[in-house]
Amino acid sequence: MSGAGAQPRNAAGPVLLLLAPAVIIYAAFFLWPTVQMLLRSAYVDGTLSLGNYRELLSTPLYGKVIWTTLRFSVITTAVCLVLGYPLAMLLARASGLTRFLLLLAVTTPYWLDYIVRTYSWMVMLGRNGIVNQALVALGLVQVPTSHLSSDFAVLVGMVQVMLPLMVLCLYAGMARIDPALLDAAAAHGASAFAAFRTVFLPLSMPGVIAGSLLTFVNTLGFYITPALLGGPQQTMISQSIDTLASKLLDWPLASALAVVLLVVTVGLLALFNRFFGFERLAGAEP
Amino acid sequence: MSRGEQQVLWISSSLVLGYLLFPVLVVVTISFSASKFLTFPPPGLSLQWYRELASGEWLRAYWITFQVGTLAALLSSAVGVPAAFALARHTFRLKAAFESLLMAALILPPIIKAISLYLFFVPLGLVNTVTGLVLAHTVTGIPYVVLNLLASLKTYDPDLELAARIHGASPLRAVTTVTLPVLAPSLIVGAVFAFLQSAQELLVAMFLLGTVEKPLAVKLWEGVRISLQPTIAAASTTLVLLALLAFAVTTLAARRRSPGRGVPMMIKARRET
Repeated sequence: MSGAGAQPRNAAGPVLLLLAPAVIIYAAFFLWPTVQMLLRSAYVDGTLSLGNYRELLSTPLYGKVIWTTLRFSVITTAVCLVLGYPLAMLLARASGLTRFLLLLAVTTPYWLDYIVRTYSWMVMLGRNGIVNQALVALGLVQVPTSHLSSDFAVLVGMVQVMLPLMVLCLYAGMARIDPALLDAAAAHGASAFAAFRTVFLPLSMPGVIAGSLLTFVNTLGFYITPALLGGPQQTMISQSIDTLASKLLDWPLASALAVVLLVVTVGLLALFNRFFGFERLAGAEP
Repeated sequence: MSRGEQQVLWISSSLVLGYLLFPVLVVVTISFSASKFLTFPPPGLSLQWYRELASGEWLRAYWITFQVGTLAALLSSAVGVPAAFALARHTFRLKAAFESLLMAALILPPIIKAISLYLFFVPLGLVNTVTGLVLAHTVTGIPYVVLNLLASLKTYDPDLELAARIHGASPLRAVTTVTLPVLAPSLIVGAVFAFLQSAQELLVAMFLLGTVEKPLAVKLWEGVRISLQPTIAAASTTLVLLALLAFAVTTLAARRRSPGRGVPMMIKARRET
């Protein structure tokens, strides 16, 4: 902690007092339930066993679900990065009212409920949706069909949901870059592209890595978007856990699958923490 | 940057912004539709779906959501403020561990929280209670409060507080009358985030409360899955308004925090719920 005038002190008493409420809440309603879930996944009929994990591995369905989740997360992250980068650049360059309006345009969908945004895609991609109307009007298709229950539909929805997060991460990183550096590159004869490639792009990498990691970690847990826009072929891990727990009442197997998701997520978080530390999550002010 | 490159940047960004905003436009338009079929653009305009929102069941959903969100935001603030002070002003062993815990609470997929808390709550009798859902949403709300406050505490000059102490204020009084008012804008932003994540969260709400009382997210979810009536669009539009209101509140708060900037500082870790 190296803030202006903030002097870290060593005093066990006050720290304990200040942290106690949070620690109690986390111990009781977060850590302990998670530990119980871990234990539940490691027992079969009351004895310690890896049976649940063997079942996950040996059932092709779960392998496919895990694969689908990873695939969608990778594609979503990559597309968000490609679409978000120019927009973030524009935001970083803009000032005053332009920047405010651009931020409003990026953050309004960001604040909006996932169900609401996904619902909109259901309407647009459905049989009588605007996408079909456009395709028919253009003469590209004769008979309108539903575009739902496809990889395409799920990815369109997931990218739209995650794009604002990516843009804000990239923007936070880019806003730190001193524009004088680009002028300096130009003054030394670099073309605009060379200046971008050798100066701007490398300096924007922390934002790229932070945005990509956060987007990826978030997409791993997706439930609403694949459930509404996809079909059985697009099932992701969260949906499977829900089905196992609330429909099939197979809590041990649901717990085991949740542990798989937990391990991957926590692993990536640890990576994030190593690179950036906790406070970068706050979208540190540019 | 040349004019041509500037144009390319603007054109590509406009297309991306269109992709981001068009779905919002569609929902808002459909909510005023005269047809009960989901056609866009709608054949005529009407307020019928808003009238339906005024029916008991939807009002109940709004009330539950408001209740849970407000309580979770208040509890998150009450717990998060001292924790932020501890992180900003003290070094202690396990500091990194505590930060990791907050980060995990923020980003862990909701389904994991939902199934682990559900079984934990059953024997405690907390399933299907507002208390249970408030506690669950507080776990996720605390990091929003802490992260926002930390950003301010880093730039806050503790000498102000010291000055109050020298003039005879007790430590608690110095914090509550000098420090907290300065930090208030950040606290508001954090609390608004905590409220919003609670209001929009689906899976935990479904497992912990959704079978008895239906918060807005659960009601929307069922609506989207079963009936697909424009009532959902009307409810969604009220949420668009809520989002804009939250944007306005946090923008104003951020403006007070760092005058002249007025850019809302976002927590970048809103996860899919």
